[in-house]
Amino acid sequence: MKGLFKSKPKTPTELVRATRELLVYVDLHWNSHEPKRAEKMAELSKLIRELKLILYGSSESEPVAEACAQLTSEFFKENTNTLRLLINCLPKLDLEAKKDATQVVANLQRQQVHSRLIASDYLEANKDLMDTLITGYDHVDLALHYGHMLRECIRHQSIARYVLESEHMKEFFRYIQLDHFDISSDALATFKELLTRHKSTVAEYLLKNYDWFFADFNSKLLQSSSYFTRRQAVKLLGDILLDRSNSATMMKYVTSKDNLMILMNLLRENSRGIKLEAFQVFKLFVANQNKPPEIIGILVTNKDKLLRLFQDFKPDKEDEQFDADKAQVVNEIKALEPKKAAPS
Amino acid sequence: MEQLSGKRFPTNPKDYKIYEEVGEGVSATVYRALCIPLNEIVAIKVLDLEKCNNDLDGIRREVQTMSLINHPNLVRAHCSFAADQSLWVVMPYMAEGSCLHIMKTAYPDGFEEPVIATLLREVLKALVYLHGHGHIHRDVKAGNILVDINGAVKLADFGVSACMFDTGDRQRSRNTFVGTPCWMAPEVMQQLHGYDFKADIWSFGITALELAHGHAPFSKYPPMKVLLMTLQNAPPGLDYERDKRFSKSFKELVGACLVKDPKKRPSSEKLLKHPFFKHARTNDYLARTILDGLSPLGQRFRVLKVWF
Repeated sequence: MKGLFKSKPKTPTELVRATRELLVYVDLHWNSHEPKRAEKMAELSKLIRELKLILYGSSESEPVAEACAQLTSEFFKENTNTLRLLINCLPKLDLEAKKDATQVVANLQRQQVHSRLIASDYLEANKDLMDTLITGYDHVDLALHYGHMLRECIRHQSIARYVLESEHMKEFFRYIQLDHFDISSDALATFKELLTRHKSTVAEYLLKNYDWFFADFNSKLLQSSSYFTRRQAVKLLGDILLDRSNSATMMKYVTSKDNLMILMNLLRENSRGIKLEAFQVFKLFVANQNKPPEIIGILVTNKDKLLRLFQDFKPDKEDEQFDADKAQVVNEIKALEPKKAAPS
Repeated sequence: MEQLSGKRFPTNPKDYKIYEEVGEGVSATVYRALCIPLNEIVAIKVLDLEKCNNDLDGIRREVQTMSLINHPNLVRAHCSFAADQSLWVVMPYMAEGSCLHIMKTAYPDGFEEPVIATLLREVLKALVYLHGHGHIHRDVKAGNILVDINGAVKLADFGVSACMFDTGDRQRSRNTFVGTPCWMAPEVMQQLHGYDFKADIWSFGITALELAHGHAPFSKYPPMKVLLMTLQNAPPGLDYERDKRFSKSFKELVGACLVKDPKKRPSSEKLLKHPFFKHARTNDYLARTILDGLSPLGQRFRVLKVWF
């Protein structure tokens, strides 16, 4: 008859409440020598694991929509600040609980309650949480967890805008060059997401911040001493400039002599990876129908070198689009004439 | 309860002294090396980024998974950093190399059953952990089961870029579409629907046969033929004359994994409860039985490179 007295499994709502109570406890009692602390931490880890199982299901069962919705509404219930508590307590959790908590936060960003993304409403009112997540990149033990949460949060357009307009954008140029590859590549993935996901916001942002942004992009990334940074940066630059919604920024970029020179240096690198990506941007300078005289001047001066470079220049795989682009660039350069000196 | 990850491995290539090559894959080479400041022997996987066309996102995910892993049967990355055009992933050094290595050197016809049970149990514990965290390994095979000098067993490599400690089979088929498909589940070959954790269970079953025979079923055939045989023939099993030496529970385990319909294969968690694993012994047993008298890994690697 033992089964009769087994405690009923907690509902999703009760699970969130229990988690919250423990988070508050951990938050308050962190520095005290509370004898029960280890026990409470173990309990907290277990609860976070259970939240994850509800949201993701297990190898035996699929997640249930109703349970997910209950969990989400309790999690973001007014005046409870569960997300803030969880983010703040993350450094205190062990590795497994950190991973589980990260997956929970990531998943909650996509959960709808009455067809609303209520996570977005919460973040809207608590934007400073983004500051915490971003500065995680400076902490080896937190970077990947906070980084993953951050990428999920900037799925919401207003949150992405907040990050774009913050001072943190300048810091990203440093984060993506940190020594640890797993961290720097995570920062780069976030940076890329910020600059490509929400088209209208990005277009507006780039125009408004054109001067400092591209000055930093050129000097810190495209001219970095790290091969990996240069390669990733030139790829990202191509993605940004070739996006139709950024055409105004693109037109501005391709009229600058300094930009052209940087791209031509990348074209001359030994790395095929960098060369091919640099070509994607270089072709825009050539295709511009209103080339300023100084751009024409540089292209004409380097005409022979460029044509020689393009002779045996192609990607590993057959690529019709690339061949067509290259043919057009070659023709365009061949047709360029130096400005004739006026007859005296 | 901040985890004390203890040692911080340096992220400067100058802090490592590279010794001999101990493995290679399509776009990576693995070396034995010394981490000078910590005075610790490590394995370093050096990936040539120029050869990894545009799958840098895939590499990021693989490396991140490896650095967040926390399980005795999985190889965790100590750290990773870019060095010129390559990416270095620093990992624990598994002194005895892979099971494929060990078989090729000393057990060409496969291992004894208690050895197989011990190896497979350790691998399965790794799969339970990975699946619990939503990862599919995608490349379970003897070449990715690494053994340390004390008999500890770890599953390596998350399948994207290269195969640690693996020469031979994959090398020969480098120019075909995906390497040898011997371990690949039918649903992965068909590419009709997405596949899930159950694909690893199929590969696990093939790996069981590999450890029992010294090679995977169909391994002598060209890749296209393997595809057809996997899709059209009955699943391979332990039913040849030479397999009489194996127990009924081993045959049942293989049969449970190698079912064509992925839904009918057990989960890794369930499989771990299979009676076959009662035959499993300790790591120490592995060290005493299969590792005794093997020559050092670097030397074996050189010999294998000549022969396979």
